[in-house]
Amino acid sequence: MFKTLKKLQWLDYVLLMLVIGFFAYIWWQIEGNLNYKWRWHLIPNYILRYHTVREEWFANVILQGLAATVRISIYASMLAVILGIILGVARCSANLTVRMLARTYLEVLRNIPPLVVIFIFFFFLSEQLIQALNIESWARDIARSDNNGVWQFFFGDMRRFPSLVSGIIVLALFEGAFVGEIVRAGIQSVPKGQHEGALSIGMSRYQELRFIVMPQALMRVLPPLANQFITLIKDSAIISLISVQELTYKTVEVVSSTRLIFEAWITTAAFYFVLCFGLSMLFRKLEKS
Amino acid sequence: MKLTQRYLGATLGSLLALAVGVGSAVPAIAQSTTQALSSESVIETIKKRGVIKIGLSLFVPWSMRDLNGDLVGYEPDVGRQLAKDMGVEVEFIPTSWDGIIPALVSGNFDVIISGMSITPNRNLTVNFTEPYAFTGLAVYANKKITDGFSREDFNDPNVTFAARRGTTPAAAIVKQFPKAEVLYFDEDGAAAQEVLNGNAHATMAAQPTPNREVENYPETLYIPFETLFDPRGEGFALRKGDADALNFFNNWIGDNWRSGWLKERHNYWFAGTEWNSLVAE
Repeated sequence: MFKTLKKLQWLDYVLLMLVIGFFAYIWWQIEGNLNYKWRWHLIPNYILRYHTVREEWFANVILQGLAATVRISIYASMLAVILGIILGVARCSANLTVRMLARTYLEVLRNIPPLVVIFIFFFFLSEQLIQALNIESWARDIARSDNNGVWQFFFGDMRRFPSLVSGIIVLALFEGAFVGEIVRAGIQSVPKGQHEGALSIGMSRYQELRFIVMPQALMRVLPPLANQFITLIKDSAIISLISVQELTYKTVEVVSSTRLIFEAWITTAAFYFVLCFGLSMLFRKLEKS
Repeated sequence: MKLTQRYLGATLGSLLALAVGVGSAVPAIAQSTTQALSSESVIETIKKRGVIKIGLSLFVPWSMRDLNGDLVGYEPDVGRQLAKDMGVEVEFIPTSWDGIIPALVSGNFDVIISGMSITPNRNLTVNFTEPYAFTGLAVYANKKITDGFSREDFNDPNVTFAARRGTTPAAAIVKQFPKAEVLYFDEDGAAAQEVLNGNAHATMAAQPTPNREVENYPETLYIPFETLFDPRGEGFALRKGDADALNFFNNWIGDNWRSGWLKERHNYWFAGTEWNSLVAE
């Protein structure tokens, strides 16, 4: 950090001043033209608050939303990795039909806007699945029982469990396609000699994948997979449109209840940034070691 | 080895065929659930389940999050009382306004209690009860750029209205001021902010919102004319073909009008300001 500071020359300082000046000008413009009463002091209340009735500290709406976003991202990425590995292997399969089907799935998802995909998956797939499996009444029974601490920790409010599940499914189906591409690239990056070696010692196709190709491929694709995980966190904002109670949705609720338009959205942006930037730093460190 | 390959291919192929099969069966499932929902009254379902599921979208002062993050407002009051009278628990399902009718139709909840005005257009898709609230729409405008405007001056191509998409005010603006330009937003706050910033001349909202906004920004906003547009009733919305539920809700609403309870709650949230400190200090 200090080393970089020492490297700065006078030209850098001039540039820095110009940038700061530019933003100050924009800020001054906003302040001049925007008729808005800033009420930043209200925001901390919606993050963490001392409950006036229960008399204890509790995570309020925005923090609840953040927790939901973290949960959804973790579960959706686990599902997406499983789906992605299946797709990636299918993309490299010797069977033409399998290859074509995997390719079709990918191309369809890659060429439709995420929002449209999410609506289609939501209404035609996850909703039907939840109704067919009767997840809702099962989750409600848990929500009503006294001993639901573990469930709450892993899934939040169990009454909202069905919408959480459909959010996770929709997101995983969508991101799985991209994970599949990453896995395929990993498999194809394993040199041909490795395949041939496996064949020559009489391994079956499955054994070859399991013991020779996959271990090498997965090691190689870890960095892009980490990247995809961060992308997934950002993409998770879209599922607020199907009323999954994550960070973006909760922010909309705060905004429509209090009119804290700018404060609430800036706070939410900061939360997303800290989460994603923190993870990207962490992954970079892990990659180096 | 070739054999394993072929087996793998065949298994995957049949799996996919199965998936396609399930996929094409989905509309059929959807249809049968709709039928199942309408063949049995939602009242029976609610009693069996022990929970009434109410869909709502946040609008001040209909329903909002208080400082403790709990739902408060006219609708939560109505919903809680309704559940109490039915002897069941209440579960509010916050849903975005755009998708609230599809969510009702696909069975996500039993009834919408969300300040939904009874309009012919909506009525083609869902059933409405008798009104449990009455509102009229009022215009509020930016003082600086609409100084001295008469009612007719607002109906001009140079005038811009801001409105929340898919709402009754949005439709009323188009009807009452056909020549004016309309900017659509996803959320009430954004529409109001555009008027405050002077990017839009005016907007329309159900009372008491216009009065509250003018109170908050007396130096910028005003109500140019006292006309109430499009006075309407708001009803519970429920799936079509459920006469039992319609009957029950209508009688519940009628009873609570006669007892004065609905009126009293309505006044508390719409005319009073006592609750302001609950939402923002």
